Amino acid sequence: MKIFRLPDLGEGLQEAEVVEWRVQSGQTVAVDDPLLAVETAKAVVEIPSPHAARIERLFAKVGEIVHIGSPLVGFDGAGEEDEGAGSIVGAVATGTQVMREAPSSLEHAGAGIRAMPAVRALARKLGVDLAIVTPSGADGVITSADVERVARILAESGPAEPLRGFRRAMARNMALARSEVAAATIVDDADIGSWSKDADTTIRLIRALVAGCRAEPSLNAWFEGQTMARRVLGKIDLGVAVDLPEGLFVPVLRDVGNRDAADLRAGLDRMRADMAARRMLPEELRGATITLSNFGMIAGKYAAPVVLPPTVAILGAGRIRMDVVAFEGAPAIRRILPLSLTFDHRVVSGGEAGRFLAAALEELAKPE
Amino acid sequence: MDRERQSAPYHHRGGGMAELTLVEAVNLALAHEMTRDRDVLLLGEDIGVNGGVFRATNGLIARFGRERVVDTPLAEGAIAGVAIGMAAMGLKPVAEIQFSGFIYPCIDQMINHASRLRHRTRGRLTCPMVLRSPCGAGIHAPEHHSESPEAMFAHMPGLRVVAPSSPARAYGLLLAAIRDPDPVVFLEPTRLYRLFRQEVLDDGEALPLDACFVSREGRDATVVAWGAMLHEVMTAAELLEQEGIEIEVIDAATLKPLDFETILRSVEKTGRCVIVHEAPRTCGLGAEIAAQIGERALYSLLAPVKRVTGYDVVVPLSRLEMQYMPSVARIADAVRKVVEG
Amino acid sequence: MSVSFRIDCLQFLSPSGELNETAGAIARDANLLEGFYRAMMRARIFDGKAIALQRTGKLGTFASALGQEAVGVGVASAMLPRDVLVPSYRDHAAQLLRGMTMVENLLYWGGDERGSDFAVPRADFPICIPVGTQVAHAVGAAYAFLLRKEDRVAVCFVGDGGTGNGAFYEALNMAGVWKTPVVIVINNNRWAISTPRERECAAETLAQKAIGAGVEGVQVDGNDVIAVYQVVRQAIEKARDGGGPTLIEALTFRLGDHTTADDATRYRDPQVVQQEWAREPIGRLRTYLAAKGFWTKDREDALLKQCAAEVEQAVAAYLATPAQQNDSMFDHLYAALPFAMQSQLEEARRFAPGDGPREAVRAVSSPGGGDG
Repeated sequence: MKIFRLPDLGEGLQEAEVVEWRVQSGQTVAVDDPLLAVETAKAVVEIPSPHAARIERLFAKVGEIVHIGSPLVGFDGAGEEDEGAGSIVGAVATGTQVMREAPSSLEHAGAGIRAMPAVRALARKLGVDLAIVTPSGADGVITSADVERVARILAESGPAEPLRGFRRAMARNMALARSEVAAATIVDDADIGSWSKDADTTIRLIRALVAGCRAEPSLNAWFEGQTMARRVLGKIDLGVAVDLPEGLFVPVLRDVGNRDAADLRAGLDRMRADMAARRMLPEELRGATITLSNFGMIAGKYAAPVVLPPTVAILGAGRIRMDVVAFEGAPAIRRILPLSLTFDHRVVSGGEAGRFLAAALEELAKPE
Repeated sequence: MDRERQSAPYHHRGGGMAELTLVEAVNLALAHEMTRDRDVLLLGEDIGVNGGVFRATNGLIARFGRERVVDTPLAEGAIAGVAIGMAAMGLKPVAEIQFSGFIYPCIDQMINHASRLRHRTRGRLTCPMVLRSPCGAGIHAPEHHSESPEAMFAHMPGLRVVAPSSPARAYGLLLAAIRDPDPVVFLEPTRLYRLFRQEVLDDGEALPLDACFVSREGRDATVVAWGAMLHEVMTAAELLEQEGIEIEVIDAATLKPLDFETILRSVEKTGRCVIVHEAPRTCGLGAEIAAQIGERALYSLLAPVKRVTGYDVVVPLSRLEMQYMPSVARIADAVRKVVEG
Repeated sequence: MSVSFRIDCLQFLSPSGELNETAGAIARDANLLEGFYRAMMRARIFDGKAIALQRTGKLGTFASALGQEAVGVGVASAMLPRDVLVPSYRDHAAQLLRGMTMVENLLYWGGDERGSDFAVPRADFPICIPVGTQVAHAVGAAYAFLLRKEDRVAVCFVGDGGTGNGAFYEALNMAGVWKTPVVIVINNNRWAISTPRERECAAETLAQKAIGAGVEGVQVDGNDVIAVYQVVRQAIEKARDGGGPTLIEALTFRLGDHTTADDATRYRDPQVVQQEWAREPIGRLRTYLAAKGFWTKDREDALLKQCAAEVEQAVAAYLATPAQQNDSMFDHLYAALPFAMQSQLEEARRFAPGDGPREAVRAVSSPGGGDG
């Protein structure tokens, strides 16, 4: 019930006598409807209703003296104030907004670089990237001595060169490949003693690789790590790793399985010319299904070159050398071409890789 | 002459320094100030005829009378409350709470009134009172006699909180507390009451409030402590010195308002800080000091700040009590960690 | 050994305005009685205005003393200026008579500490909100008077609810032991927010709590300003003469709500309240004064006008008082602001309102061309 009390009558008047009620209990009134008439020391005054509501009770009788603040009328239903909004002190704000909350939980980000602020400030001052500093403190904490050590080394080695363009791409791609691929490598030597003097090594390698693919098509495939799906491809588009001053490039020679040696040679030469003239189009660097790395043209026997997703295999050819091997039961000096096959063991089994390599070796051993 | 001595055994025997225990130094300060200032009076349980359960007020009722050395009924809240009433009328009451565990009923009066009286009357009324109590563990007492409540009082605006660590500092700081025009909570280290003696001159010289004392200089690490813990810290200092580690020891003394400038200067020099307190770890004053170091001395830090504190457990009864307290071993271990990593 | 006790309840002026002849000479003291009347009316008009101010958002929570004017006026009238008043939070009737100004009281409830910096009663305690804690302050103050041999008495108010608080008992007990010159007046308005007197204490009277402390306890009709005055004056004189403390229970009724943020109809029948109006203090005194020829309608009109004008003036002065600056939060924290607090003071200054929100929003782009 909402109680209406006798309001301030003005001029300091404190009380009045009830002269007449204009309403009765049970009656519904509108705002400003006259409730009762009271007589003060000055005049007869009508008191209007502050609410539009039903009257529940009257608290004074005709002839009674009522004082400012004393109850006059009890109204039914809700008044201005909410029934439940009590506080005794102050004013507790009531709002109508409904809160919707969806708390999240934080992922564990990992410890990261551990260094005191003073050490970080020192590193900043000396231009040292804390990522390259090996910590010597307990719990893997980088100390100021560590920072000073690296600063000395860097000062002696000249300024760092930020990677750009293809070098930057190589850094990125190799990092990505390494984190995804489960690389495994098998190596062997091919006896190429029966080759003619003017044999085209690269073409022979391509033929060997094609032979490997015919024997084990599963090494000419694309693997999608996210969906764990493999696409064994019929066409062999060979990525040929080329080393230029700017970095590593892998232009793609299309459909090598169906092209003859002359066509392949022409294709290779065109590729080289385009690269030298810097006219290589981006799409010519994409879509390799398997890769050949003839690193032996520079130096090296065996290697475990990086398998570039989505491909699953890369064949590496090392430097041709004269070596002492067993030949027809006796030691002989033969021309040897070392081969390395690195494969993604998520997709290719050791057996498959082995059979591929065997076929390639067999092909390479042929005189023609 | 003899009667005087009997009734006032700690009155300094005519000239020169006396070697006093901490509780004797408290007695000396009270006597000195009550002689100097007629508005100073004492109230508390058993402080008069009995001279206080720890004898802190021994002999004073004979010298100054029952009206100024008041044996109160057993009511800690009211002891604080009447002290406030006395102080508001211009007296300088020094109220004793018999044991730290019984100080909690005073929190209502100290926080709701003592800390606010000056502020809420815009200086018209003030509250120059002292609430003193023996605090801390280590005397193998029954339950509730081993509390360290300094953080609770330090948290409230308008109070001063002081913790002496030696007889000389107890004398000087208590004089300062009594003379201070605002309320002071004076937490005396029970364990040090009689543990050792020190030369104390009854010269009425107050030590400064709102100031830390550097008890020992060093370059390798700053150790901040107060009250009884100074004793352990100084022992640890000697131990560490033999290992080639020199710690700088700061006696915080006034815990609120804290003289952080002194701590700051030290941490900027050493780059390492260990805070030692008997009170439980969470929300202890060590957290406040560590936070301020984080705000103002972070770039000087060579190692994270460490706290050596009582555990967040109920102070154990006497059999395990010493295992709860920060020991010399725990303190030295913490210092080694911040210095050596 | 058995102990029995007796608690007398004193009344001279009945609800209908008849004065008992045992009132003595005071019955003829027109000046004194008129003074009571004026003071009560002034308090009531101020009280009503304060409520109106709160309803229009110009004052914070206010605790009305409607119906309890006689207790405050009777007590304050019996005090000397050098005595000290220790109020609860519903005692502005007494405080106004002691010299607290209306502006000061409005400032207090309006949220400004300067309201407790009384210009006149410099030693009176400010309003006390933690119920019952003020009694110890009064006892301590009285002890100070005793020790300094000052001819002063401390008078404190506590509500009926407050007498249930441990703080009350402890302080009363100490007063008894030390025989301090203190008079403790229980303003028994029979309601502690929603708790009626019967549920606050099982004792038949609250005055008899004094017995447990070895203190004299008396009851008085709190709506009879003459009886209140007599009883308190006697107790103050006794205290001044070294007779120790007295506990006085003044029986009255809280005609208003606990505070302006309370709706008493939730827990008590408005009809009962209406009935209690018949016993209120101002009407009965008016009836007596009028019957004695000490009071006329003209004088009533003049008084009402005068009080209304004074209240209006005070309200205007209060509303015109600018709020304190942020600095004031740091003033009077201690005798001098400790160095450790300087940085906080500077922070508060930076965010002080006045010149616009300097730090609230930083400019998104820098002025003067370019992309910023």
